[in-house]
Amino acid sequence: MASAPPAETTTEIACQSCGAVLSVAAKVRSTTCPYCASPSIIRRPPTANRPSPTFLVGFVVNHERATRAVRNWMSKSHLFARSDFKAAVPELTHGIYLPAYLYGAVVSANYSASIGENYTETETYTTTDSQGKSVRRTRTVTKTEWRPLSGQYQCYVVDVIVTASGGVTNEALEAIEPFDLRALRAYNDSFVAGWLAEEPTRSKEECFRLAHDETIAMVERRLQGFMPGDSHRGLQFHANLHNEVIDLVLLPVWSYAVRYAEDRPPVQILVNGQTGRVGGMVPVSTTKVAFAVFAVLGLILLVILLASMAS
Amino acid sequence: MSEHEEVHEAIELPHCSRCDSPLEPGDLRCAICGQAAPQTDRSANEKVSVTLLRCTGCGAAITYDPDHQAPACSFCGEVLRVETVDDPMEQTEVYLPMTVSIDEARAALKAWLGTRGWFTPSDLSSSSTLTEIKPLWWVAWIFDAEALVSWTADSNAGSGRSAWAPHSGQTPLRFDDMLVSGSRGLSESEAYAITPGMQLGTGNTSPSGGGDDATFERFDVPRSQARQQVLAAIEQTAADRVRAQHIPGTSFRKVRVAIVLRRLITRRYALPAYVLAYRYRDQLYRVVICGQNANLIVGSSPFSYAKLFALIGGIVGFVLFLLMIAAVAGS
Repeated sequence: MASAPPAETTTEIACQSCGAVLSVAAKVRSTTCPYCASPSIIRRPPTANRPSPTFLVGFVVNHERATRAVRNWMSKSHLFARSDFKAAVPELTHGIYLPAYLYGAVVSANYSASIGENYTETETYTTTDSQGKSVRRTRTVTKTEWRPLSGQYQCYVVDVIVTASGGVTNEALEAIEPFDLRALRAYNDSFVAGWLAEEPTRSKEECFRLAHDETIAMVERRLQGFMPGDSHRGLQFHANLHNEVIDLVLLPVWSYAVRYAEDRPPVQILVNGQTGRVGGMVPVSTTKVAFAVFAVLGLILLVILLASMAS
Repeated sequence: MSEHEEVHEAIELPHCSRCDSPLEPGDLRCAICGQAAPQTDRSANEKVSVTLLRCTGCGAAITYDPDHQAPACSFCGEVLRVETVDDPMEQTEVYLPMTVSIDEARAALKAWLGTRGWFTPSDLSSSSTLTEIKPLWWVAWIFDAEALVSWTADSNAGSGRSAWAPHSGQTPLRFDDMLVSGSRGLSESEAYAITPGMQLGTGNTSPSGGGDDATFERFDVPRSQARQQVLAAIEQTAADRVRAQHIPGTSFRKVRVAIVLRRLITRRYALPAYVLAYRYRDQLYRVVICGQNANLIVGSSPFSYAKLFALIGGIVGFVLFLLMIAAVAGS
């Protein structure tokens, strides 16, 4: 069983360029000296919850491109987004190497479902013709024959990414996925030099749980596509995950904060540092929603009124 | 151990600890199951240490630059060379010798032209002129693998009111010396038609036979794309085998397979062939002959419409004749 995340909150280091003593948060892997701007990489002894990174995806999107992508995304956010949010100026907080786990497993599942096989039948029915007479006619109808099916399913699941950062939820990370893992590199300190790199702040146990949940959801989607027949219902399965592998990977993320109102907390917007994909929660304008609801209700009333006048 | 095994076993590759497939130089992870490759430099530090990376040119601190996708010095602009993503172009490892001579290939073409069936022109063999004969080594991946295949399908076996009934199963399959063509010069059908004649055990590290005028194809896809092609071929082959041997019934639809692959060993071959062009009445036709077995020939030949029209005319005339006789007998 994995232990709790590291308890220490800060680490004191000496800048290797100017000698200044810096106090660095325990979750930070790299920092820049505020006196001489020299980048330092802090190596701590690995623990169960804070392993050394195995892989890294390097930044491809630079600051200007990321900011443009965020502005574009904000201005094109949906109809009910607050106007002050659309007009707000995004403030860059950091370009971060976000810790995440890359999970893979062999899935063995037992499944059962009802499989629908369509067939057609010609049936006779009675109807009324244009002259009001009762007539018998035939028509072809499609019916479904349901047959039980059960079996075993095995597959590899690879490249499930879950966040290991306490500051970014798995949903927020999913919003800016996918990362092109063909560009995965073996971790090297030189890739994080000058950038903020975060240590894992979620326990490995929690990350395993997140990865399991994602994998089970993925297996369900795959089984949905694996079923034969014209349709299926009542799919049930029990999946066993074994031969699991989990490796720490640092992912490039630009993090922006958008302050759109004095009385509201800033909104976090993330940009995939490899692909430029933007993700974040868009604050909804209650005024716009209320206006839309009233407009629809007004339209319905108008239609009813016109209909009653016409009749 | 056969000769071609000896050629490849000479280079010991590390294997994935999960699926036992060989890991190739530069692989960070297993391409089949995603397991991380063993790292050579995983020295664990016992206490907290701080590293500052300096430019080898001017001594200033360096930072990672997204524009260069590499660490670079912001003062003198020098870019640090770091390990790059290793996705090399595929390279031929084994050449099969060309054991069919040019004369044998010519003779094989002549014989083949004489056996093209009744609807080819009668003077095809005598009036055709060979315009070009080109020895070619075309490229292909040959792989061995073990797989556990889970499958589902609809078939007519056990069907009730519907013409289809669902079936499922799981079966182990072995793939030995399966070929996936990587050739641009030969079409898929040409490559597969001449493949049965290849003696894979005769492979060598350099080509032999075929004369000085041979063309050598090269693989033109990187390793990652080659693996995708091989995996797609495995999936297709698995579905075909399941359809042929494991699903009950005689007609099938919606055959779906999920594969857990183990011990995938891929070898890159250059295989010999002759590509011939012959002219018949100002039209060029192409023929490919296996470079190790002249009996394996695939190609195109002209179609005699005169014979087709003569046959149709004959049948129509015969039917009219029968009708006339019937009419005369009736009167």
